[in-house]
Amino acid sequence: MEIYKFTNWFKEFGWRHLVGLIFVTISLYPILYVITNSFADFANLQNSKLIPDSFTTKHYASLIGDPLIPYFKWLLNTYKIAGIAGFLNVLLGTFAAYAFARLKFKGRRVGLITLVLVQMFPSFLAFVAIYLLFFQIGDVAPLIGLGTHTGLIMVYLGGSIGFNSWLIKGFMDTIPTSLDEAAKVDGATDFQIFYKVVAPLSRPIIVVLFVITFIGIYSDYILAAIFLKDANLYTVALGINIVFMDDFANEWGSIAAASVIAATPIAVLFIFFQKQITGGLTAGSVKG
Amino acid sequence: MKFSTFVRYLFLAVFNSFIIYLVPVTIAFESWFLLTIIIIISFLINITYLTNRLKPLKWITPGMIFLLSFVVFPAAYSFYVSFTNWSTGHILTKQQAIERLEDMTFTNDNQKGVEFDLYILQDQDLDFYFLADLDPDKLLFGKAIKKEEYSQVFYATHEPSFKDLNGNISIPDEYYLLSAKEQIANSSELQDLALLIDKNTRVQLYNISVFGASSGRLLSAQQKYSYYAEADILYDNVNNLECNLGNRGNFICDGETIDPGWRITVGTENYKRIVEDERFRGPLRIVTFWTFQFAFFAVLATFFIGLLLSVTLNKESLKFQKIYRSIYILPYAIPGFISILVFKGLLNPDFGLVNEWFAPVYELFNIEPINWFRTKASSRTAVLLVNAWLGFPYMFLITTGALQSIPKELLEAAKVDGATSRQSFWRITFPLLLVSISPLLIGAFAFNFNNFTLIFLLTSGGPPIVGADVAVGYTDILISFTYDLAIAGGRGYQFGLAASVTTIIFLIVLLISAISFRYSKRLERVYGNL
Repeated sequence: MEIYKFTNWFKEFGWRHLVGLIFVTISLYPILYVITNSFADFANLQNSKLIPDSFTTKHYASLIGDPLIPYFKWLLNTYKIAGIAGFLNVLLGTFAAYAFARLKFKGRRVGLITLVLVQMFPSFLAFVAIYLLFFQIGDVAPLIGLGTHTGLIMVYLGGSIGFNSWLIKGFMDTIPTSLDEAAKVDGATDFQIFYKVVAPLSRPIIVVLFVITFIGIYSDYILAAIFLKDANLYTVALGINIVFMDDFANEWGSIAAASVIAATPIAVLFIFFQKQITGGLTAGSVKG
Repeated sequence: MKFSTFVRYLFLAVFNSFIIYLVPVTIAFESWFLLTIIIIISFLINITYLTNRLKPLKWITPGMIFLLSFVVFPAAYSFYVSFTNWSTGHILTKQQAIERLEDMTFTNDNQKGVEFDLYILQDQDLDFYFLADLDPDKLLFGKAIKKEEYSQVFYATHEPSFKDLNGNISIPDEYYLLSAKEQIANSSELQDLALLIDKNTRVQLYNISVFGASSGRLLSAQQKYSYYAEADILYDNVNNLECNLGNRGNFICDGETIDPGWRITVGTENYKRIVEDERFRGPLRIVTFWTFQFAFFAVLATFFIGLLLSVTLNKESLKFQKIYRSIYILPYAIPGFISILVFKGLLNPDFGLVNEWFAPVYELFNIEPINWFRTKASSRTAVLLVNAWLGFPYMFLITTGALQSIPKELLEAAKVDGATSRQSFWRITFPLLLVSISPLLIGAFAFNFNNFTLIFLLTSGGPPIVGADVAVGYTDILISFTYDLAIAGGRGYQFGLAASVTTIIFLIVLLISAISFRYSKRLERVYGNL
């Protein structure tokens, strides 16, 4: 009787928990591993394990003050680049979206189709051309040439503006036009309608797209790699993957600590906005 | 003035001052191409914001400029580059290359090795002066200057008064003669100084001597090549040769190609090489095939795991659902470059934990431990495994969403008609699910097709394909292969060739997008818009 009950439960629920737990282990293992290793005493790769024998914060301390590994400079660079590019991105994207959503003009359809087409080709595909372009710009205007953050920010700006304005436009379409018409009757200009009515109402999508763009730039490797050659200007993705690689096994503890610091804020941000992010991504891909 | 007008004028002022700064610079660099672009952009901006006729453009222009400059234009530019020989040795324009060639200098053999006494003096301003005792008729004196100052003429003069009647050096009071010790202390600065004798010849400190005077040497810097624009030839002043224009963007002196060359358009040469050169075509075929394989299996594996999990959890009254779901999101929440790094540690063939876990299995079957990343099969498996870990949460999320949006009535109707749960899954749930998420699957395919970060950071494309003409490995996908060709392969920069591979990538992505577009249109017709 008991056995019968158990098999019934297993058929109904038990196997689900079994599969569920297997994947919980698979999902969590690498994450826990890097966290515990970042605190582990003597954690080079050879004697690393999930639960270390003793704990220390020395790997975190090792990230501070070594001029050859300016880890916190990398972090700061990354936040700066992703922050500025993300902000300008949604700002310019919102402007463009407003025109496409609310103004009637010749070439609107062509403009929209261009946006859809362009977003299919991520900008990094043409990285050879971007490299050569900025290689030449650097001769003329060193401030935005190769090796500068400004140039990199400009490239990131171009890269996701199509995607963002397309999604913001989609959101603005759902805001009833009766609102702007009421404002227009009250004598509001286009710009006033934009920043008093349409833009505030689009805030949810704007915030989410900022977060998505920020995370995207934070995690980018290829464009940062072709742009930045000076270790002091690296982003964190570059820094960790270039500087620590010389002695991967022995630097393992520092790598783990650096990883934890770099990943935590992004993971928190992601989990906080998880529903909207996945919603936004899905909507974008379906429509694109 | 209204606030918006003020902002507009402020923006225009900043923008135009930037343009005014750039225009003379581009002219100075003779960069006509950039100048054209700058003029077009500034014209567009000023027209848009100074008149009231192009209202919508006011909103669109700022974003559009970045989109056109850094997404659309590079695509076109990359196509242009694919028709050039732009590569190491052909990086410069013709004019830059000629300037570089004309800057080259050489030293005549008869001047090498002649040494003479050199005295180093200092005046009250602590500027250095050289006194070179070449021969009795040439006691040359003058200010010692740095390379940057060569153009301001400070030629040495013959100063017999610096010697007394016995032929010994006698220094006037306003100068101080440096001792050997002081010379050594200042040696790094002194190394860079020279006394100019004429346009092409200078005196430099050669050897600091503790006993007696230090020695100097004559260095002559004669122009090695001269360029004659009318005839478009280069003249080799060393060997007295005329060098003619080659057809590869080089001058050729007596059958020898002169570096640096410059970039020229070479027609379809790069494409020909892709198609015809076996040592290039072979690896490219391997890479292309693997790129499709990788993208396909990456989507298949993540989709399968995602679907398995969403079906498993899609059961009312199952406990801990929320916990399961929030844990499955985690791999997706961590930046890819971090997770890849962790897996690089876990899979490490020598010290990694994965091989440690499998040690009993290896022993049981008496097989060698897997040599992760060092063989073709293990590297490819590793890439797919890591990708599965990174990508399954996304598939889990979208399949969960799709499952929940399938109308319950359909499944209940099937149950009434006597369908088993397996039948209703494969006949109803699965097809409907595919319809609603197939555009996302194609999107995931396109993403993985160009998943540079994973490949480059996990395996760098390795292990290498032996016998290839270029740096390429068995896990390289097209985009990482292009990266190696262009920048990181360690065999020079091959921009032209890399750009031609980029063209191939563009064509394939275009094809994928077209398929996606038509497919979703067709599905909509068949199943209606879900």
